[in-house]
Amino acid sequence: MEDIKKLLAKVAPGKEVAEGTQYPTIELEPNEVRAVAKKLKEAGFDYLINLTGVDYTDALGTVYHISSSTNKTAVVVLKTKTADRENPVLYTVCDIWKSADLYEREVFDFYGIRFIDHPDMRRIFLRGDWKGFPFRKDYNEVNEMPTTNVNIDDLETLPSITFDKEGKIVEKTKQLFDNNEYVVNFGPQHPATHGVLHLRVSLDGEIVKKVDPNFGYIHRGIEKMCESLTYPQILPYTERLDYLSGSINRHAFCMCVEKAAGIEVPQRAQYIRCIFDELTRIASHLLGWGCMAMDMGAITAFIYGMRDREKIMDIFEENAGGRLMPAYSIIGGLTKDVVPNFQQTISEFVAYMRESIKEYHTLFTGNPIATGRMHNVGWLTKETAVALGTTGPTGRASGWSNDVRKIAPYAAYDKVKFKEVLRNTDTCKGDSFDRYIIRLDEVLESLNIIEQLNENLPDDGVNVKVPAIVKLPEGEYYQRAESARGDFGVYIKSDGNKNPYRVKFRSPCMTLISALDPLCKGEKIADLITIGASLDYVIPCADR
Amino acid sequence: MKKYFTDIFSGIWNLLKGMKITGKVLVSPAVTECYPEKRDELQPKERFRAELTMPHNENNEHKCTACGICAMNCPNQTITVKKSKITDENGKPKIVLDQYLYDIGSCIFCGLCTRVCPQGAIEFTNNFEHAVYTRSKLIKQLNKPGSKKVEVAKPAAPAAKPAQAGQNEVAAPKQENENKQ
Amino acid sequence: MSLELIDGINKIHEFLTSNIEAAWVVSLIEYVLVGLGFLTLYALIALFLIIFERKICAYFQCRLGPNRVGPWGIFQVFADMVKILIKEIIPLKHNDKLLFYAAPFIVIMGSLLTFGGLQFAEGVHGVDFNVGVFYLLAVSSISIIGVMLAGWSSNNKYSLIGAMRSGAQVISFELSACLSMMAIVILGGSMNLSDLMAAQEDVWFIFQSPFTVVALVIYLIAAHAETNRGPFDLPEAESELTAGYHVEYSGITFGFFYVGEYCNLFINAAIGTLVFLGGWQAFHLPFAGCEGFNAVMDAIPSYVWMFGKTLLLIFLSLWVRWTFPRLRIDQLLRLEWKIMLPFSLANILLMAIWVALVK
Repeated sequence: MEDIKKLLAKVAPGKEVAEGTQYPTIELEPNEVRAVAKKLKEAGFDYLINLTGVDYTDALGTVYHISSSTNKTAVVVLKTKTADRENPVLYTVCDIWKSADLYEREVFDFYGIRFIDHPDMRRIFLRGDWKGFPFRKDYNEVNEMPTTNVNIDDLETLPSITFDKEGKIVEKTKQLFDNNEYVVNFGPQHPATHGVLHLRVSLDGEIVKKVDPNFGYIHRGIEKMCESLTYPQILPYTERLDYLSGSINRHAFCMCVEKAAGIEVPQRAQYIRCIFDELTRIASHLLGWGCMAMDMGAITAFIYGMRDREKIMDIFEENAGGRLMPAYSIIGGLTKDVVPNFQQTISEFVAYMRESIKEYHTLFTGNPIATGRMHNVGWLTKETAVALGTTGPTGRASGWSNDVRKIAPYAAYDKVKFKEVLRNTDTCKGDSFDRYIIRLDEVLESLNIIEQLNENLPDDGVNVKVPAIVKLPEGEYYQRAESARGDFGVYIKSDGNKNPYRVKFRSPCMTLISALDPLCKGEKIADLITIGASLDYVIPCADR
Repeated sequence: MKKYFTDIFSGIWNLLKGMKITGKVLVSPAVTECYPEKRDELQPKERFRAELTMPHNENNEHKCTACGICAMNCPNQTITVKKSKITDENGKPKIVLDQYLYDIGSCIFCGLCTRVCPQGAIEFTNNFEHAVYTRSKLIKQLNKPGSKKVEVAKPAAPAAKPAQAGQNEVAAPKQENENKQ
Repeated sequence: MSLELIDGINKIHEFLTSNIEAAWVVSLIEYVLVGLGFLTLYALIALFLIIFERKICAYFQCRLGPNRVGPWGIFQVFADMVKILIKEIIPLKHNDKLLFYAAPFIVIMGSLLTFGGLQFAEGVHGVDFNVGVFYLLAVSSISIIGVMLAGWSSNNKYSLIGAMRSGAQVISFELSACLSMMAIVILGGSMNLSDLMAAQEDVWFIFQSPFTVVALVIYLIAAHAETNRGPFDLPEAESELTAGYHVEYSGITFGFFYVGEYCNLFINAAIGTLVFLGGWQAFHLPFAGCEGFNAVMDAIPSYVWMFGKTLLLIFLSLWVRWTFPRLRIDQLLRLEWKIMLPFSLANILLMAIWVALVK
């Protein structure tokens, strides 16, 4: 902490580091952001965790959570804001941290803040003809249900703003594709986009030249809804972000609220939450494995994955009462204690799963067709992974150690012994095969964690009494958790009411989708599908 | 050259091993079941949340006081509590439940309503067969016609409250709810 | 009483000749009957294979498969047939109408023509060419024209990519399929299917030389690839191209492709059976003292042998299809040009030497 404060004093001289915040925070004027960001990047802060837009009612601003791939536990927060609500502009950082590309588009979409020199200021989730910027607190536009198709110009024209020689802002536009490019729409209804994602793919025969993801088909405005819901009411929505790591998202939100409200959760609840997180991770990886196999044409393997995932769903059903959405964690603990034969069920499942993984390896990993399709395809170097913020198994397959369970242990993860599964620590490059095999390895590691937790389950109750109306003290809270797809984050800004002032979920999937273009360039159509499957994104998580 | 041949034969060998796995499954029994035929064997687990119900006792009485906390806590406005003010035989004003409407079409089965209910008047049951022909049938009235609130002796009422629900919340949200109407 | 089909056919022939004097009328009626017979057989085989595949695939995937219509769901396929017949054919605006609607017929035609050259039982076949094998190879590749036309005329980017893939794939694998059959032609010394059948009366070709085994494996892979199924379904590749060349087809026009696919599956298995596994010939042990065993084998009607062996090959094909992932286009071409083609060329050479030395 002290080191970081010293560093901040160096990169931003004269700026005060705010006291009493979770992470070292400095507020900057808009024109200082780029200089500080560059210096931070040079000092090793190369991973932009999250970029949140906030409406302070008198000003519009952004919050940057920045971490490092070397000094992993360090997190700094930069803040900036502009008082101009009519035509707000800020400076882009997408050339410093590449992952800011999509985040800044999101901020523009929701708050109308345009970023100078950002090459692509299209709306990201909402249609181009959407009136107003919905996350502003004074938003009261009425948008009719659209009856016309999306204007193709909105999809293909990239507006941007920049300074001309006299320092005035000029608007520019650029076309996404040339007139004679062979552009194929993959999705929104396509068997291999894992949801309603729309990819516009420029092809040269079988070779992919460019991929342009078009988001928003399942944008539900969850973050906006959260602003008018109470904290317990938000919980079911967190499960519906990345529905395959529902428990983990819910756990993360519960932790964020509990930390902010100063609620101490019993050990037993934390252990069970962790077991459920790991079960969710296994279920997600099984589905990811199966979907990858199915995308490559092996439908039978997919069914085997689903068959074994069903066992986890049964455990969820028995204990939590829900299957895909267990709804088990609540603020202050769990809804109910586990059923009496829980520990036995878990140990039986662990034994069964270990055998199944061997079968998967024989069926699919050993298959020369499958390995031939995955090897040497979609190289993602460690630097690109960090720059794009592709956390989770994808980043670890490229040798970037980014497991939040290790970096910032939460719940019971500091009480178990497990190793972070990494691939290619020497070459620092990951191909589709690395991203494939790391998931199966992680399942085995998760089984180890579950086994340890299950054996040492403490016995001190599963919930504590919390006030019926949860109110968080004024302030900003951030909680990271390792979801099945990477670094999931919850940012809550509270003004002391029973509703949060602003909630932002750091979606691991959005950055994964942004990796499609650099990974697929020059590969074949079939590889686009394999790479997409190996990234294992979930669209509702990206669209929110 | 040697690699060329070893690659081919190891490839074929691995393919055959994969076929062995599927072949094994071919002869082992299926894991899926015929649904309506084997309906009796299909028992959801006890805690499975599938449908919100309001249990009635043998005298056609329920525990609902029509406070509306469940409706207020529901994230989806799935529950509508219709109530009216009457004067009981002692001349005291009293709130009674007219209709407890539950729209299963918009329910997300989060279980928040049952957790916050101070009376324990509603609960989730296992009946998962919700298919109907028209959407209007998804809106269910949970209190049976002619039912009324079970009369309990005064001191017994607080004891019925579940542990998670706080004491202070009962009064406050009730007023808010009334203001809304 | 014989169970052979040929006896029944002869009886019909006698009945017709005894009642009708003009020979050309008899021939005409017989042609019509044969044509109808083939069409019925064609439809029945397709229907049977669809339900067969759906059931087998379900068992591979630990499922139950269709089980609603009829006992064990065996009438599901008839329900599907009725459904597809009454489905609307969705007209497209910007496509080449003539080619678009001609394509499914070309596909069907290709496989029907091949049907004529097959032998289903002892003496039961449409035509008996002296270049039967050559004919089968030639007409079975007509279907690809239909596939290419479908992809081109749909005016859809997916279907165009699918059609191009299909073209590359079928033309490549045609080579290996032909070359592996040529090895048998060398061994049998004839292109006439009847001659080849006669040569397999005692011992099937598969047991006559080690090189026929290699040829069979190559043939099965190549034939499987030609049907656009299993790991070679790149032209359809539902997870990449949604449905490839037939993405724009609906109703019965799609049904034609579907039926054609299953009939091609049967045809390929049948050719493999005829050429490698002795066709309708019973299994004989060519040793002294095995006459009793051979007599028992002969008692089984020839069409049972034929369809039994064909079904075995089809099952093998399904097993492969429901186990392996799809190949990528470069893997596919590498498999053909770098592995299977050299192997089949070497195989022909070795077979020629074998024939020269052993026979």
